[in-house]
Amino acid sequence: MKSLLLLSGLGVGAMVAELINIKRFLFPLVCLGLIATIGVSIYDWNTDIHLFNNMLRLDNFALLFTASLSLITLLWLIGAKKYIETETSISDKYALTMFTLLGAFIMVSYNNFTMLFIGIEILSISLYVLAGSKKNDLFSNEAALKYFLMGSFATGFLLFGIALIYGVTGSFHIDVVGEYCRANAGNIPTMFVAAIVLIIVGLAFKVSAAPFHFWAPDVYTGSPTMVASFMITVVKTAAIVAFLRLFFAAFGYIPGTWQAIISVITVLTMYIGNVTAVFQQNVKRMLAYSGVAHAGYLLIALVALTNLSGGAIFYYTLVYSIATLMAFHILYIVSDNKNEGVGFEAFNGLAKRNPLMALGITVSMLSLAGIPPLAGFFGKYYVFTAALEAGRYKLVILAVIASLISVYYYFKIIIAAYYHKSNKAPIELSPAHRFLYIASIFLLLFLALAPDFLIRWAK
Amino acid sequence: MTKLVALVPILPLLGFVIVGLGGKKLSKSLSGWIASGVVLISFVVSLILFFHLNQNSEQEVSIKLFDWIAAGRFSADLTLMVDPLTSIFLLVITGVGFLIHLYSIGYMHDDEGHNKFFSYLNLFVFFMLLLVMGSNFLVMYVGWEGVGLCSYLLIGFWHKNNSYNNAAKKAFIVNRIGDLGFLLGMFLIYVTFGSLNYSEVFSQAKFYVSDEPVLIAITLLLFVGAVGKSAQLPLYTWLPDAMAGPTPVSALIHAATMVTAGIYMVARSNILYTLAPTSLHIVALIGVITAVFAATIGLLQNDIKKVLAYSTVSQLGYMFLALGMGAYTTAVFHVVTHAFFKALLFLGAGSVIHAMGGEQDIRKMGGLKSHLPTTYLTFLIGTIAISGIPPFAGFFSKDEILAHAFAHNKIFWLLGLGGSVLTAFYMFRLLYLTFFGSFRGTHHQQQHLHESPKSITIPLIVLAALSVVGGFIGLPEAFHTKHLLKSFLSPVFADSDLRMLPAEITHATEYALMALAIIIVIVVVLLARNKYVVKGELPLQDGAPMTALPKLIAHKYYVDEIYDSFIVKPLHWIGTIFYRFMDIQVIDALVNFVGKATVWSSDRVRLIQTGKIGYYVFVMVLSVALLLLYISY
Repeated sequence: MKSLLLLSGLGVGAMVAELINIKRFLFPLVCLGLIATIGVSIYDWNTDIHLFNNMLRLDNFALLFTASLSLITLLWLIGAKKYIETETSISDKYALTMFTLLGAFIMVSYNNFTMLFIGIEILSISLYVLAGSKKNDLFSNEAALKYFLMGSFATGFLLFGIALIYGVTGSFHIDVVGEYCRANAGNIPTMFVAAIVLIIVGLAFKVSAAPFHFWAPDVYTGSPTMVASFMITVVKTAAIVAFLRLFFAAFGYIPGTWQAIISVITVLTMYIGNVTAVFQQNVKRMLAYSGVAHAGYLLIALVALTNLSGGAIFYYTLVYSIATLMAFHILYIVSDNKNEGVGFEAFNGLAKRNPLMALGITVSMLSLAGIPPLAGFFGKYYVFTAALEAGRYKLVILAVIASLISVYYYFKIIIAAYYHKSNKAPIELSPAHRFLYIASIFLLLFLALAPDFLIRWAK
Repeated sequence: MTKLVALVPILPLLGFVIVGLGGKKLSKSLSGWIASGVVLISFVVSLILFFHLNQNSEQEVSIKLFDWIAAGRFSADLTLMVDPLTSIFLLVITGVGFLIHLYSIGYMHDDEGHNKFFSYLNLFVFFMLLLVMGSNFLVMYVGWEGVGLCSYLLIGFWHKNNSYNNAAKKAFIVNRIGDLGFLLGMFLIYVTFGSLNYSEVFSQAKFYVSDEPVLIAITLLLFVGAVGKSAQLPLYTWLPDAMAGPTPVSALIHAATMVTAGIYMVARSNILYTLAPTSLHIVALIGVITAVFAATIGLLQNDIKKVLAYSTVSQLGYMFLALGMGAYTTAVFHVVTHAFFKALLFLGAGSVIHAMGGEQDIRKMGGLKSHLPTTYLTFLIGTIAISGIPPFAGFFSKDEILAHAFAHNKIFWLLGLGGSVLTAFYMFRLLYLTFFGSFRGTHHQQQHLHESPKSITIPLIVLAALSVVGGFIGLPEAFHTKHLLKSFLSPVFADSDLRMLPAEITHATEYALMALAIIIVIVVVLLARNKYVVKGELPLQDGAPMTALPKLIAHKYYVDEIYDSFIVKPLHWIGTIFYRFMDIQVIDALVNFVGKATVWSSDRVRLIQTGKIGYYVFVMVLSVALLLLYISY
């Protein structure tokens, strides 16, 4: 409750700030607000608060992700400050960011289908606007429109599914639906299964899983680089957690109805994401496909649905977000604020131009590729372990092969940074960026040392 | 007391870390003293542990450091233990090790790799201590591989010379063959007994019948490991080549300690061997054949270190002979005395080489007695000790082996006696050619002849003293005194002794045998003196015509050549075929195909991303329709 109020307050406050002209205080204010939400999550730990007639449930799982989403947003904000404040309508962007995060918070703590829908909509509508926030850029406009059209379409499916669930069970409450599933496990009507399929479609769209991923490469590439990095980390995390919450509490009792469907979606996502990324010449687009591929790995934990799944997804999303954010931040600087993105040659000679950035992009790529001893390796390790516990051997083998393919395109950047020459001038970093890279590199190494330490919280 | 146990191996490791990381920042003398100091402290601790075991009825002191591996039902922990057997080895390793470290301070003083040398030496001592202190076969294996690595690094220490590198590689590869045997033996032990801990394995083994096939298999596999590490037939060829390393390394690793690891391993698993008499017989056979075989090669070698190397192989053969007859204490006794006099001989040879400016060919030496008095005197003591002349150390241990052999099998005895005759001959030949007669080197070398500095001569003197008195720890029972070593080691071999005491002979026979051996040896020494001092004969120059048998021996029975043409070359040939065909044509092609196929499919798959919203929505709806179709069936 406190963090929801805090964020809404910040969002509204940011809009008011435009009127009373205190824009320059916004950045520290928002940063403090995010730190406060992390603090509140720690304060509320182990309390299990139910809000609004049990429509929201702030259990430890929700609090954990509230904190991790705030941390990711904080890391994002430090790097994105430059983008937010060089364009017009500064306070709008702060406000929209806060509302997006608010939607994400609801998505990780809902206990009622209406809340799920409201959370998704708060998040999406803010994002539609953010995607088009570079008003004079044609690509940005195209991305916003595409995202809006397809997003509304997907929401339609989701709503249809929720309606069918209500038709069968007579309730929007996850607990009631879960009770229904348990009681009728052997005798589920087709209408209910159809509802599950439609909800899967709606959520798969949000995590950009194939074949509902088509919007993702186009939107990520067209949106302003910083907005894309926000979408590909925060939104994906929130969506996969929404998925997990629903399946843990309700559909987990009837795995036979949906496991095959999600398995197929998982494999398709991993392979379409990884294989398509191989041929991309545009780094931003490559990262977009990499984001699709990682959605596939995350879905593996969902298919497994063991006690380890929650911890695995928490660790994976955190590590993936840190690595991806760092890659996007470096890309943003390297591409000189060009929105349409740049090719791999932009990274040429980065080791000479700025060794810290070269190291950062290397650590980020290695972590995303899942090379030990970086944290990304342990993320994959826990996801695969969860799947193995559930006996999903074939899925793990396919996932390992898929992640082998990914090495190809991740290493292209590292090779460019270290082995190709460039005569461009050295890059000067602001202290904020330097801090960001050092912190991210440190986190990717440190989290690898103590993965169990984090996983334990999610149990 | 238990905490002290951990200190013994940790100190040299610490020394390795400090000297290794310090690199060029540490001054030469400082790093030399650090490296020697840690080994000295280890020695002091080993002494304390030794007296503790000697005075108390406790059979072992152990400390569990941590659980090392736990996988499924398998678990192994890193536990260090000191029992009487380990204690003896600790004293030899750290005691002789310290003297050799001290010696190296003077010997390696002008070498540019000085600090690296000392860090390797410390690392070696660490692994050697781990080898003898582990309480299960896995830790022994770690030490076993570790000393192999250090041996490799130190043989090839002067890596700018390519033939030294080849010698290092040869040592490593030949040892790998033995290691494979050890590894397989270890697997079989685990499969049979369900554990690798000594205590569990040995206590279960007691209930096996004698000559059970699985015990024979285990002991023979372990023995293959011992054959490799302790340079026995047919895997001995690496040891003479290993003389490429700096002389202190030859003394420490390739004479006093590492090569006796095989003896330790067999002595440690004595109960297994006692219960497999067939394996014991093979051990004795290999030992005695190696003892004689290597001694004959020693007769015609002209490199001062090579003579000592073949002598080492031969002496190790004696130790295996003793083990093979179930006389485990005797084998350990010979390990101890051999460590004293062989380290002494190697270090003396090093002092000679130092004085000669790197020359190792004894045909170019001669008359060094007056120039290097201390070296000469100590070398003389070493030579007397190895030849088996009383009351020097080698006499007692070798006499004990021969006495057992006489009781056990007369042919072994005869061969053993023959070997000791050969030993006396080649050792005195070496002594006479090096120190007697007139100087045969260049004028330049003669001008620079000088006695070595104190840090070299002090270890020589200490080792010489030990070579004189070292034998008194195991006086024969015929002298009506207590065999100190035997009573100290008795708990380790108690179970074996219950089943099979080594054959005994009467005291009168023993006296007779001793007298016989002494007389023969003295005759042989006089013969050698007559040939090389009185007549002043010299070994033939390289390439001079020889009759068939001497030629065969001088070429070391062509064993290296045989190995080369029957094993190394065919393997090379197979390797080339696999490289040309399998690697390039099949594996590389496959890998390239996979890569190209991925890029090709990527090029196709990306076309589904058309950029048109209508198409995207269409695919989405189609997918939903297919999913709904799927669930309705």
